[in-house]
Amino acid sequence: MEPIRIDPARALDEALRAQSKLAAGMRTLREVEDVNYGATDKEAIYREDKVVVYRYKGQNKPTAKRPILICYALVNRPYMVDLQDDRSLVKNLLSLGEDVYLIDWGYPDGADRWLTLDDYINGYIRRCVDAVAKHAGVKKINLLGICQGGAFSLCFASLHQDKLQNLITMVTPVDFHTPDNMLSHWTRGMDVDLFVDTLGNVPADLMNWCYLTLKPVRLNQQKYIGMLDILDDKTELENFLRMEKWIFDSPDQAGEAFRQFIKDFYQGNKLVKGGLRIGEREVSLKNITIPVLNIFAEQDHLVPPSASRPLGEHIGTKDYTQLAFKGGHIGIYVSGRAQREVPPAIHQWLNERTR
Amino acid sequence: MATSPDPTRAFEDWQALSRRYWDAWNDATRKAFETSTQATQAEVMPWHEGLEQWSRMFSQSGSQSEIVERLLAGAKSYFSLLQSLAAKSSGADGSLDAKAWTDTLRESFNFPGADAALFDNPLARALREVAGKGAKSIEELSKGAEPWMREAQTLLGMPAFGYLREHQEHYQKFAQAVLDQQQQTNRYNALLARASARAFELFEDKLAERAEPGRQIESVRALYDLWVDAAEDAYAEIALSDEFREVYGALVNAQMRVRKHVQEEVERVATDLGMPTRTEIDSMGRRLHEVRRELKQRDELAAELAELRAEIEKLKGSRAAKSPAKATRSRKS
Repeated sequence: MEPIRIDPARALDEALRAQSKLAAGMRTLREVEDVNYGATDKEAIYREDKVVVYRYKGQNKPTAKRPILICYALVNRPYMVDLQDDRSLVKNLLSLGEDVYLIDWGYPDGADRWLTLDDYINGYIRRCVDAVAKHAGVKKINLLGICQGGAFSLCFASLHQDKLQNLITMVTPVDFHTPDNMLSHWTRGMDVDLFVDTLGNVPADLMNWCYLTLKPVRLNQQKYIGMLDILDDKTELENFLRMEKWIFDSPDQAGEAFRQFIKDFYQGNKLVKGGLRIGEREVSLKNITIPVLNIFAEQDHLVPPSASRPLGEHIGTKDYTQLAFKGGHIGIYVSGRAQREVPPAIHQWLNERTR
Repeated sequence: MATSPDPTRAFEDWQALSRRYWDAWNDATRKAFETSTQATQAEVMPWHEGLEQWSRMFSQSGSQSEIVERLLAGAKSYFSLLQSLAAKSSGADGSLDAKAWTDTLRESFNFPGADAALFDNPLARALREVAGKGAKSIEELSKGAEPWMREAQTLLGMPAFGYLREHQEHYQKFAQAVLDQQQQTNRYNALLARASARAFELFEDKLAERAEPGRQIESVRALYDLWVDAAEDAYAEIALSDEFREVYGALVNAQMRVRKHVQEEVERVATDLGMPTRTEIDSMGRRLHEVRRELKQRDELAAELAELRAEIEKLKGSRAAKSPAKATRSRKS
């Protein structure tokens, strides 16, 4: 039997539909305005250099005893966690009674060229954690690290555990040398010293293109052909554009921090192999004995589940929980399933550990 | 494939449908243009020209224009496929075998190694952008260096000596770096071409799997999606290989060496002209950063000291408060 059974009439109908969508798109694209992001009110409670810590304001006062501080990655903007009204991890956590803070790293420029991981982890994160604890009137807080921010949070917890009550990691790479980790695979032949010495800060466009080449046809072409389907739907189109804005609204990477992150994490895999030093102290996952919730995405092409799962084997805590989410690296924040499953899971897990 | 038993009839049906297609497209396009400011440009045009027109309409629309360009790049491929399939479908018996479809796709699609317009070299494209707007790309810089390069190439391999020995050696290294970059780019492109070829093999395999009853492909979009799956699988196979890792690293390193040589040349000229250089600015930035770090440490130490002092004062106060009471108690006893 022939594998293809496309009726010419149906093919023409497809063409007609696509053409009519294109025609509608001429109108819709003109109607949509610049998309905004950020659904929830927030106030800045701490500033240092380009770093700002925000506290989100919910409809009601938080009922949780301890605040959650979200530590996002350096490589994208953190508003993914509060993208829009119906796609917001923050909003859902607030509605469950959590008290949510977030670190916004800002956009590093030439002045930040020499920031190291020591500056980020023992400097900025430590002072942000102190600021949140002071603002909330508690001694210990809950830290929620996302992606690279999750790796930073693990380092922070190893070095400053006395400041934390619980640790949550989301789509966080731990073992960087699993065979399906394309990003790690590519970086291992690079001379990172030459790279950073030449470029200084690593440009966002270069980072973005690298991510696009992980799935070149899907991300450069198929996605935009899929866009044809929604060209006549203003709301869907705005959602698409909002996501598109987030994907390409990326900060440059501070050169020294990038150098160390690639060398020690991607190339050296020191988070699991040992020998990772942040500042003057060595990081060991065995030092982490507070409760840990590790959430990863089963279809994650940036941080494969195989990179996140090993946390349980290497961490010191006896209270370790793992949650596999059916979705991708971005879907874990913005999909309908994520709205239903992720915030309640975090809330419940924290609730069970409320002292 | 559902076909009419009479080839002549099938062809006529197709022609009628094609007319309907063009009429509908022209009608839709005209209506959209009539509501726009460029209504006078609503001419009868084939789909490709329609897309070009679409592109022109949004070329001045700021942040949306990039989205539109990306959409159009995909849409062009998709419509090319539709048209190619239409052409194939109007064959004598109206039917197609898997190989014919694959050939159609091979002609219609942009894929790494197959079409320079879309995937000439992703990394090179990225690196062209690295210095941001207004900056020269590596290629441009290399082009600007052509006079030096021509000179350097003749000197490559010869020992440098004399008054301009240092300059000569620098040009030699620069030329070698550019040649190496070209060589690494070729190796990278060869791997992309291999991924492209492999994609067609996988596509044929995937098509063969769809020959089972109930799994046949019944829409162009489904066919396109199957093609994308094959292309991504093939790319992943290559991209996760040890060879790709080595080639990728060598290409990035080669490009960085060229860029570094260009930077050094610019610095040399800037120094001659008495202008500040990036090395000097980096040096100052580093010192400033170290000073700021020290200051922060001192501030934190000062804050800690202040806290300790406050605690000591508090302790002293409480001792002083307790002492008279003790004294009173002892007097009473």
